[in-house]
Amino acid sequence: MGHCHAKVTQPTTDEVFSKLEVPSVLARAEELVRRYPVPRSALLPMLWLAQETIGWLPQEAIRWAAGKCDVSPVHAYGVSMFYTMYKKEPTGRFFLQICQNVSCHVLGAEDIIAHAESTLGISSKGGTTSDDLFTLLRVECLGACGNGPVMQVNDDFATDVVAGALAMPAGVQLTKERFDRIVAWCRDRAAKLPQEPLRDVSGGAFRTGGHPGAKGATTSPQRPDYAPAPPVLALSVQKTEDGKAKVTWRADGAVTALHLEARRDGGAFAPVATLSGKDKEWVGEFAAGTELRMVSESQGRRAKPSNIAKMEA
Amino acid sequence: MSNSYHMPVLPKPDAKKVTINVDGRDVEVPEGTNLVEALKSIGIATPHFCYHPDLPVAGNCRQCMVETDGPRGMGLAIACYTPVRAGMKVATDLSSEKVKTARKAVMEFQLANHPLDCPICDKAGECSLQDNYMSAGGHTSRMREDIGKLYKGAPEHRHLDAKGQERGGKHLDLGPNVVLDQERCILCDRCVRFMRDVAGSEQLYIAGRGDHAFLSTFPGSELDHEYDLNVTDVCPVGALTGKHFRFRQRVWNLVSTPSIDPTDSLGANITVDHHEGQAWRIMPRRNPEVNRSWIHNETRLAYRKLSENRLAAGLFGKSEVPLPQAASRLGELVRGARKLALVASGHLTLEDNAAILALAQFLGSRAEVFGGSWLAAGKPDNIARSGDPVPNRLGLKLLGIADNLDELTRRAKEFDVLVVAGHDLWKIAPSRAKALEAIPERIVLSSWHDDSVSKATLSVGVRAWAEVRGTMVNCQGRVQMLQAAPILPSPDLEPVWQILSSAGRLGWTSELDAFRFAQGRIPALAGLTYRTIGPMGRILEGVVA
Amino acid sequence: MATLTVTQNFGKGASDLSVYRSLGGYSSLGPRLFDLSQFELIDLVTRSGLRGRGGAGFPTGMKWSFVPRGSGKPVYLVVNADEGEPGTFKDHVLMLEDPHRLIEGMIICGWALGVRSAYIYVRGEFLPAIETLNRALKQAYDAGLLGENIQGTGYSLDIYVHRGAGAYICGEETALINSLEGYKGQPRLKPPFPAVSGAWASPTCVNNVETLMALPWILENGPAAYQALGTPKSGGTKVFSVSGDVKRPGVYEVPMGTPLMELLEGKDLCQGIVGELKGVIPGGSSSPVLTAEEARKANLDYEALAALKTMLGSGAVIAFNTTRDVVGMLASLTRFYAHESCGQCTPCREGTGYADRILKGVVARKGRDGDLEHMLDLAANFSNTTICPLASADAWPIENFIGKFRPEFEKAVAANPGHAAPRLDDDFRPGAFW
Repeated sequence: MGHCHAKVTQPTTDEVFSKLEVPSVLARAEELVRRYPVPRSALLPMLWLAQETIGWLPQEAIRWAAGKCDVSPVHAYGVSMFYTMYKKEPTGRFFLQICQNVSCHVLGAEDIIAHAESTLGISSKGGTTSDDLFTLLRVECLGACGNGPVMQVNDDFATDVVAGALAMPAGVQLTKERFDRIVAWCRDRAAKLPQEPLRDVSGGAFRTGGHPGAKGATTSPQRPDYAPAPPVLALSVQKTEDGKAKVTWRADGAVTALHLEARRDGGAFAPVATLSGKDKEWVGEFAAGTELRMVSESQGRRAKPSNIAKMEA
Repeated sequence: MSNSYHMPVLPKPDAKKVTINVDGRDVEVPEGTNLVEALKSIGIATPHFCYHPDLPVAGNCRQCMVETDGPRGMGLAIACYTPVRAGMKVATDLSSEKVKTARKAVMEFQLANHPLDCPICDKAGECSLQDNYMSAGGHTSRMREDIGKLYKGAPEHRHLDAKGQERGGKHLDLGPNVVLDQERCILCDRCVRFMRDVAGSEQLYIAGRGDHAFLSTFPGSELDHEYDLNVTDVCPVGALTGKHFRFRQRVWNLVSTPSIDPTDSLGANITVDHHEGQAWRIMPRRNPEVNRSWIHNETRLAYRKLSENRLAAGLFGKSEVPLPQAASRLGELVRGARKLALVASGHLTLEDNAAILALAQFLGSRAEVFGGSWLAAGKPDNIARSGDPVPNRLGLKLLGIADNLDELTRRAKEFDVLVVAGHDLWKIAPSRAKALEAIPERIVLSSWHDDSVSKATLSVGVRAWAEVRGTMVNCQGRVQMLQAAPILPSPDLEPVWQILSSAGRLGWTSELDAFRFAQGRIPALAGLTYRTIGPMGRILEGVVA
Repeated sequence: MATLTVTQNFGKGASDLSVYRSLGGYSSLGPRLFDLSQFELIDLVTRSGLRGRGGAGFPTGMKWSFVPRGSGKPVYLVVNADEGEPGTFKDHVLMLEDPHRLIEGMIICGWALGVRSAYIYVRGEFLPAIETLNRALKQAYDAGLLGENIQGTGYSLDIYVHRGAGAYICGEETALINSLEGYKGQPRLKPPFPAVSGAWASPTCVNNVETLMALPWILENGPAAYQALGTPKSGGTKVFSVSGDVKRPGVYEVPMGTPLMELLEGKDLCQGIVGELKGVIPGGSSSPVLTAEEARKANLDYEALAALKTMLGSGAVIAFNTTRDVVGMLASLTRFYAHESCGQCTPCREGTGYADRILKGVVARKGRDGDLEHMLDLAANFSNTTICPLASADAWPIENFIGKFRPEFEKAVAANPGHAAPRLDDDFRPGAFW
């Protein structure tokens, strides 16, 4: 009898908040909240921001993000547990994620995973090497099946090392040899670079004015009349059995009035009738050869005329 | 919330009816509501877990499947989210194999990862899984040991049991009142919706994903809210249970006696559940017009006082005497009083207060009735409390009893006998009550050994609120019934009205005599009987503006 | 050389604005777009026959026409870049190669619907694509192609990238909206539909990356030209992600209606099968698998594949040869769906894991006779009782792999020496008994 999961040591509130309540992070947090109509919607990017700053997502960081987004702590906790990429415990410096889904499976992912487990000596279900350099995790489809089997090292796709950098060149699949090369590259990097540089993981290194109405936003809502007024489309006139003319067309639902015009022998168009925007057809009498067009009106704006429909003999 | 939740549209009593076709026959159902309610209105029960008439609709359990007609013919749909549409065709399990199969399938899925805890689970006997299994389930299991179950629980609570199986979270201490068994949870989300949308404090959430999801508070935080025990009601299974009731009593032994919340003037409808002469718990009784399905924790736990510190006998000063002796002494003192102060109480029923008025009437100018309360009314919380701790305050007012306790304290010296029933005045306001010690003969009728009893010259034990049948008028102007549960600590205990009737030789033989007297004083009660008041109570005309 | 409508800039460095422009990019941003009313533009897109390229194939113009305009509520455009359907990687490449085409497509869609704020929901694993998108967005803002009052038209549009965090279910449009709003990515009950009440209870249009990227070409060349590239009911071209046992896996744009084998064997395309073909998954892992014989009869459009009782879906083609073990393939899929189930509704939450555990048992040589029927029955049961189609997406592989490759599955069951033992053990007590 006993617990199945090793308990994760959680840093204290002070330890976590002291890392997050710094001007650069707070400025980012404010900008994130500004992007959405309600602060709650900044929760996912806020959790990313906290994770990148601390390296993983301790419970107090979740509480911090909840506060910034005006949601209850348990909501933020539940959300963080829903998504697999939020790390609830620290990982090694190089987080190796190998796809085990069907396409990579077909091309031998299991062999590569087994190789990774045996060379690193850790489980592919989230094991970490004792030197904290590597964590190995089987993951689901990474959306790079053309290079399958595929691996990610932290946030980068890597099926080989090319010109001293991790890369996933076209047509290059992960093999055991390439895996070893990548691991060697990682070890080498760790020896030269004290830690991985921070990366903007929550999306957007530039500032926009924000969502109209959000706290601190400087933008205004969309003007309703930016586009031209909607014209009438597909005007057509059909002779009915009793010799009358049935006029049909398609008009936008926002149209308030429709002006039917006619002309004969190429003269000027003269008004024939004004219809409501809700009308769908009109019956009248026209001599053969009469040309018709319709001009719609919405909110006091007239649109360009419709196509010309000709009354057949 | 993770869904666009909306409250269900419940059928109103005067709702217009529309005709729909259910299982081949045309029926009339209330318009505008969902199919669970519509089918209920014609006597067809639909098995469900996550639907609750007083909570926003979630539609996640998928148990309430029916078939309805759509553009592509008949198809499965959940009844709780399907609105009634005039002329629609509905097929229940009574006429559709597809519906039967779907409901059976959902039951199999519900049970696939559920622990076999029935023998140790408090919910057994009132568990939706058990009930729906009996009515809609498959009855044979296809589960095998080598297929195995995936029990639910947070990573930090998962453990290996004595058989080496990985288990989830069991009997977790969630806070002062509630215990959580994460394994039993069927993730219906009712408790989450209750805490967020009714209690207004989101303290529970379903964390994680898929069959690894589990119910949780924020790690290290408690579930602590004055309405939190309602989650144990809404929980359809035994995942959330009350500490106060855990392992105390099997629910099939309990008999439910309907009554009214004694702690607040909203008069939330409740039941007192008892067995072998003892109250084991209080549960809410649904009344859409009063408290919906909710009761405050204090109301729920009020049953404990019924067996603590009871005054089951009489006291001459500090010496205990048998009740009949105390009652008869009370009668002597009352009939022989020069000037008697009778204190009515908004904590007692209309019947008890009617007896006080009748007694005063009998004694004529020798007796004066005082009433009201020194307890101030607070604000309603719009859940199940008005904020006024005096349940029958409005009843007292309707009986014409003035709010004049302070006048009594000023004029105490005028009286030689005081009778106080139903208030612990010396506890509520000891400095004000002290003035009453000027009255030489102080008689207290109480159910408990309280502070007033200790200041009394004669104490008479009486039945408590849950042990009497009677009526109270709540702050909405609704007259509601209390029924008597057979849980007397002593068979000699009588209700207040009965003791006073004997004292005044009124000759009343039941509460009905008292009620009739009250009817004489309250015109709005005219024509009502206990039966016509009914379990939901009745609004009295013109009583509340 | 077939006409390309979305992949024509591949390999040309078009993620840089000046390169994109030099290749004709952003030419819509002028009279061609700005002279159109919203009504005309929606009509134009409808006539092009463009259908949602994310998997559902819903006619795009019709979806746009459902979005109420002038309701007073803001209209949102949410781009579904949560490409998670196993086998699919076209949006990944599209965003890396030609992000400005996506931005141009979004401006066109935004113009049609009156969108003020648009969000590109990119799955969390695509950080390099997110970085590419953000660089492109910054260039677009700097060049005045986004922001307030674009090019003096009075139209304003802001685009934000919203990063997902690892949940396949967020590819479902209402789950995507919930995730965008800051909740768990759990699908919503419908109605209401997102077009009417979506993100923040406002009208919302959710479109796939590839769908939006087709718009600049449609605007430039006209709807009839686009329609004509494909079949009458499936107009235009489609980008296919091909992986598995082909000589040259990758992303290929071909006209709708192209025979499947041409895609797999074409010398400018996948250049042939590696080994002997056993089967093909034509439209992402959720689509019913085709045997080699069926694959040879398949054309790549919505109707033709539906007639073969499968689907075009996301256009993710996975070919596998006769050396591949289908039992293991199905096991990887049942594991996937059980892992990705959002957990909201009972049949999917418990059923996908249940089916997965049975198959795991078969793979581990603990299968029993009747296990296959059990799995098929579970699959049938969780197919029509759920809130969203994830459970059906699990059911189809189960039904079709077992249905079309049955002997291999029976062999796997028979690998357990005790496979004929009774399935329901009399003395079995499931779970710990108190």
